[in-house]
Amino acid sequence: MSRLGIFVDRRTLSSSDQLTSLIRCRDAAEEMGHSVEFIFPVDIRKIPQMDALFIRARTDPMNITYVASRMAAFAGIPVIDDPESIQVCSDKVNMYMHLARAGVAIPRTLFLSKEDIHPSRVRDIMDDLGTPLVLKEPSTSFSLRVERVEDPAAFIRVARRYLKMSDWVVAQEYVQSTYDWRIGVLRGRFLYACKYIIPSQTFKIQDSVNGHVVYCAVESVPPDAVPAPIRDLGVAAGKAIGDGLYGVDIKDGKEPKVIEVNDNPSLEGGEDGSYPHVYREIVHALLET
Amino acid sequence: MNGVSPGIATPAEQQGGVPAAAVNRRGFHLARDRVYTVRYGGYTTFVSENYSYKSETYYAILARELAGEAVAPDTQSMLDAFVVPVCLERAGHCGIPVAAYTIMHSCAPAPAIVYGLNYFASTSHFEVLTGDARDREKVRHVTNGGKYPCCSQPISPDMAVTRAVSVFGKVLSPVPGMQEMAGSVWECFRIPLVELVCLSGPGGPVLSSLCPVRYSRLQPAERRLLKACIFGQVFL
Repeated sequence: MSRLGIFVDRRTLSSSDQLTSLIRCRDAAEEMGHSVEFIFPVDIRKIPQMDALFIRARTDPMNITYVASRMAAFAGIPVIDDPESIQVCSDKVNMYMHLARAGVAIPRTLFLSKEDIHPSRVRDIMDDLGTPLVLKEPSTSFSLRVERVEDPAAFIRVARRYLKMSDWVVAQEYVQSTYDWRIGVLRGRFLYACKYIIPSQTFKIQDSVNGHVVYCAVESVPPDAVPAPIRDLGVAAGKAIGDGLYGVDIKDGKEPKVIEVNDNPSLEGGEDGSYPHVYREIVHALLET
Repeated sequence: MNGVSPGIATPAEQQGGVPAAAVNRRGFHLARDRVYTVRYGGYTTFVSENYSYKSETYYAILARELAGEAVAPDTQSMLDAFVVPVCLERAGHCGIPVAAYTIMHSCAPAPAIVYGLNYFASTSHFEVLTGDARDREKVRHVTNGGKYPCCSQPISPDMAVTRAVSVFGKVLSPVPGMQEMAGSVWECFRIPLVELVCLSGPGGPVLSSLCPVRYSRLQPAERRLLKACIFGQVFL
């Protein structure tokens, strides 16, 4: 019997969906004969006593999850998400650099610094990438700090706001779609697939519309209904990042393109509805390989 | 890069490392926000006053790393150095004496030094708890009202907070043990310009955190040492 630590924080436990998902994970591990301990930030020194660590909290290199992941790495125990995956996936510049280096199809993308944000350069960028285009602050998650801009004035306004948080920002070709594929990848292998149906009021999977947060609908897709090019692209994108657990977002079209690769992918929204063994596979990857 | 343009280069890249102003040593000055590169020990070493996450320096180093170039510091070292518990764990693994610490959400027993652990925290900013009525407010400040955890390091009565600027592992501090500490930190993190915050007591200094250093804060002797390092004189 091995000991699995599940690292959580207060925010993780703030929704019933998250709690239910954590309990499913714990049950899966216990059914496989392992013990499970939930580890909170104040218990971080317990990490070296575990045989593996599964992080279920919002990851970022500047927060406590990175501390937990590095502590596991220092102790030589398997961890999802590993520090390198947190570092790459939390920063869209880093993530797109990894994808591009591996030849994974992505929308046309530029990295811009403050010297780029002047009218003539912005017009050139909009001519190059087309309009509208999408601006992203690199450490955005849950579609925060992602905006579609239609003209140079909006471009400059949004870019200047993002440049207060990062010295580089991402400008990207806009790819219209009514849904995103989400391909789950674990250790370089296909794990699950679902569709995020984008709310009609927005172009993002989550947004604030007239003061109300609107969420995408989640539709789990069985393995035999996942087109091979989508599945293969998702796996290739996961491999381009590392050897962990990833949720790869793909825009379907004539040529599918990866929009982003997420570490710590959500599993509480029904993403794994057609894949009842997702948590067993994660526990197996952490403790039995 | 397959549809990706690397965007604008950093100042150091635009000028091929040491900036044009540095070619004439007599006219050389350390310019604000400027990044200097030095070839040292087989690594392209980046001298910067800002090694923070998502800074120009961070992205310049990342681009070189992904191109396969040997760089110092690497981006993981930059992240490790400025997240206090990670810094201490890594330093401890490198054999450096480090402060004891705990992660807390609210109260920390005084006397102690506390650092925020969140996206907005900087190691340059810490609070010293002394056991008086203001401690609660200090902890509220670093934890953003209890929203984020903090890293608390107990201080014994015979300890003092001491600071020293390390330039390529060399310090001008007279504090006993600080030179050895700086040398070890340089070997562990390879950050050429960094401030050591230590808790110093009868047993010598223990590392509390690492902080970035503005060129404008350097003492004249530290400035001369840094310039000498950038010109390669110190390594000869």
